[in-house]
Amino acid sequence: MTDRRTPALRASGLAKSFGHVQALRQGELTVHAGEVVALVGDNGAGKSTLISCVSGALLPDAGEVSVDGRPMPLGSIRAAMEHGIATVYQGLAMAPDLSVAENLFLSCELRRPGLLGRLGLLDKKAMRERAWQLMDGLGITTLQDVTLPVGDLSGGQRQVVAVARAVSRAGRLVIMDEPTAALGARQSQMVIETIKATRDRGLGVVLISHDLPRVLEVADRIVIMRLGRVVADLAASGLKIGQIVALMLGERDNDREEGLPA
Amino acid sequence: MTTLRIPARSRLGGLARSTPAYITVALVALVVIFSLISPEWRFLDATNLQAIGRNSAGLVLLAVGLTFVLGAGHIDLSVGATLVLSSVVAGTVAVRLAGEPSASGTFPNAGLAIVIAALAAVVVGGVAGLINGVLVTRLKVNSFVVTLGTMGVATGAAQVLTNGANVAGIPPAVQTSFGLNTVAGIPLPLVLAVVVSLLAGVVLTQTSAGRHALAIGSSADGAMRAGVNVQRSTIVVFVIAGLMAGLAGFLDISRFGTTAISGHSTTMLQALSAVIIGGTSLFGGRASVPGSVIATFIPTVLLAGFVMVGVSSFYQNIAIGVVLIIAVWLDQMRGK
Ligand SMILES: Nc1ncnc2c1ncn2[C@@H]1O[C@H](COP(=O)(O)OP(=O)(O)OP(=O)(O)O)[C@@H](O)[C@H]1O
Ligand SMILES: [Mg+2]
Repeated sequence: MTDRRTPALRASGLAKSFGHVQALRQGELTVHAGEVVALVGDNGAGKSTLISCVSGALLPDAGEVSVDGRPMPLGSIRAAMEHGIATVYQGLAMAPDLSVAENLFLSCELRRPGLLGRLGLLDKKAMRERAWQLMDGLGITTLQDVTLPVGDLSGGQRQVVAVARAVSRAGRLVIMDEPTAALGARQSQMVIETIKATRDRGLGVVLISHDLPRVLEVADRIVIMRLGRVVADLAASGLKIGQIVALMLGERDNDREEGLPA
Repeated sequence: MTTLRIPARSRLGGLARSTPAYITVALVALVVIFSLISPEWRFLDATNLQAIGRNSAGLVLLAVGLTFVLGAGHIDLSVGATLVLSSVVAGTVAVRLAGEPSASGTFPNAGLAIVIAALAAVVVGGVAGLINGVLVTRLKVNSFVVTLGTMGVATGAAQVLTNGANVAGIPPAVQTSFGLNTVAGIPLPLVLAVVVSLLAGVVLTQTSAGRHALAIGSSADGAMRAGVNVQRSTIVVFVIAGLMAGLAGFLDISRFGTTAISGHSTTMLQALSAVIIGGTSLFGGRASVPGSVIATFIPTVLLAGFVMVGVSSFYQNIAIGVVLIIAVWLDQMRGK
């Protein structure tokens, strides 16, 4: 099944080493608008490294990334943001002393209308109200106050803030690195619904998760990584969990020859 | 509405946010105590209060600059030395531009010379801050080490420029028309320092620049991944601290009519203490300009009070040292 449209994201030949560790050897990722692509693989397979190269958090040693067919400068988070890419990192990337609202708008602050805004004054009220809407939209009912420091939230609440921030900023592509890892069943389902809504808005979504049943529920395609390489890129429909696991672990003998990373 | 369940850390966080309130209480208590024990309430004399205000103005500016640097999770040990270097450059500029004094002792170009000297002081301070910021972000050397180095460089440069002697022959108009002048009984340098502090408070709490500074102080990695330009924000906080030190350098010559090259060995420490006592975290992420401004008066009130009641001024350093340790201890209790 080939798609001839220009993909929202195309990353090819990405490689990244940390000293002797070849974390990423062959990173390939294509995402179309309105498509959810799941990126799966064992711990240490290189998933986070791959998406960090796409999001600008890491500068890859080799490879290229293009958005809507236009090449994107690598190694710059701001450049990726300007190309419409927003990311939920595995470590979440929040400023714990800043409030929920401040974190949601960090680096994309709203300014006051008129002269005061042109002088650089922030519209805190608008940001708080918008923050409430965003958190409400994700069904966060346990959070009483968007002016609480993020450091005071529970791990799950923090994760929801990170998800809200990414989906509210992305113009083309949302990347989520294990967005449901710390979440309860109801909250995880809300994130899945958010992913579907984001897809329906016409954005591409990359989802990294170890929760394969959920992945199969939402993904259009499954990209499987092993030992720093993308080893399979399959349509999700009709795929069985057992097949995915077999590819993740590389249970065919001839793949063992590649050896383990140093 | 459900009742608010406030986690423990936030209750302490609330305390941090109200720091200016209890610093004000402490300051008022000090003033009351010194007033009661000073002979004939002399502590409350206008001249004494004006002297405290004049002595505080430069320190207020240094503290406000350091508030940004500490809020961003860095430190600037060089602000005292930058103050001295700026005052030396400003003094030299004023002397050069003022022309030959007439028989009555007035300088032909005093006004212009003073204005340009003030600008020169601010520019020197800003450049010193820029150098600090660039070194910290480009060399990725810890700001403690960078500013320890630039502190030495700035001190040495001031001594080289003047051969170690204070700059003499600055037009006295700098004192009479500005440094020792008052409006409504308030010393002009203090008025200037308060106006600048108000602006700085707006920048810290109401603009992206202030918010980004606190974000990188809270988590540089988190801020970067949220799209904050960490390098630029870091440079900005050091430039702010430098500009403040430069302006404080000009206030210095306006107060004394000359430079005070060797008079600032404890200035940086006093400003740093005020910032931490005022509720700004030594670990970054939280900062309060009003807290710093109010806390600045604690050392100056202590000194004036000690002098008035006949206690050696040496005790001031001891008192500040003790208060500083208590403030840092409280800061650590607040989390991180
Ligand atoms: N900053 C780093 N420095 C050194 N090694 C790293 C760094 N980041 C990742 N690695 C290494 O690169 C490899 C791939 O890591 P990566 O985080 O991409 O895996 P992952 O697929 O996201 O795993 P997980 O499912 O556990 O999150 C691992 O062996 C890891 O130890
Ligand atoms: Mg990972």
